[in-house]
Amino acid sequence: MSEEQEGQVPNTPQPEQPINQPFNQGNTFPPQGGGYGFGGMQQALPNATAVLILGILSIVTCCCFYGLLSLVLAIIAIILAKKDKAQYFSNAGMYTEGSYKNLNAGRVCAIIGLVFSIIIIIACIVFVSIFGFGMLSDQDAMREWIEQMQNR
Amino acid sequence: MVNASLFLFLSVSKDGGFIHWLENHLLICPFKKLTSLDCPGCGLQRSLVALLKGDVAASLKFYPATLPILILLVFTLIHLKFDFKSGALIIKGMYIFATAIIIINYIYKVYHQQLF
Repeated sequence: MSEEQEGQVPNTPQPEQPINQPFNQGNTFPPQGGGYGFGGMQQALPNATAVLILGILSIVTCCCFYGLLSLVLAIIAIILAKKDKAQYFSNAGMYTEGSYKNLNAGRVCAIIGLVFSIIIIIACIVFVSIFGFGMLSDQDAMREWIEQMQNR
Repeated sequence: MVNASLFLFLSVSKDGGFIHWLENHLLICPFKKLTSLDCPGCGLQRSLVALLKGDVAASLKFYPATLPILILLVFTLIHLKFDFKSGALIIKGMYIFATAIIIINYIYKVYHQQLF
């Protein structure tokens, strides 16, 4: 189903119709109905599942590889969600409500994951810029420094 | 079926087996290697191994967010299959809950100097 949907993506933003209007299903259907196998039945948004899964994985992998993996997953999820949201609003009657809710949940998850990974990346940069690589690779020096901080 | 039970038997057997192999092949955290401090995700693998052994208490001790995250993943898969009415809302709530546990756990670790 999703392949058929993706084939239709370039057709959806039609020039004469405003994009952000949810309730104009009647005239937003593309004139060539051949691509849709269900003929007027509601379908799931093509990327809703992917966005949800990516959003959740972005917190699971929050610390893999200095948070970069999580950052990449979250950004992909947010971009896909933006695309699908535009598609949903261009013809709202065509897609199921449930998949739109899934999409929104995935988007929220991805945004939280994004913030989390950005915090971790900033922490890494701050650590490196304060201590430098030499001291960081020396565990005893770090421990000494922390003990000094505690005794102060 | 036979294969699955054989696999389970192999994984719980004491020497050799899947869990034993996993225990000795944990991925090294690059953040820990760089700073010699724990990152907010450190403990996840140890906790997963403990969970595979069936030791829930040790799993929660190593990393309290593992169980919520696993439940969240399983619930998401079930929701995608059967499409519950307020499933998306529940997923959002569980996700925020898991994130909160991760953050609180890390703050606790920093506060009690368990970072090494």
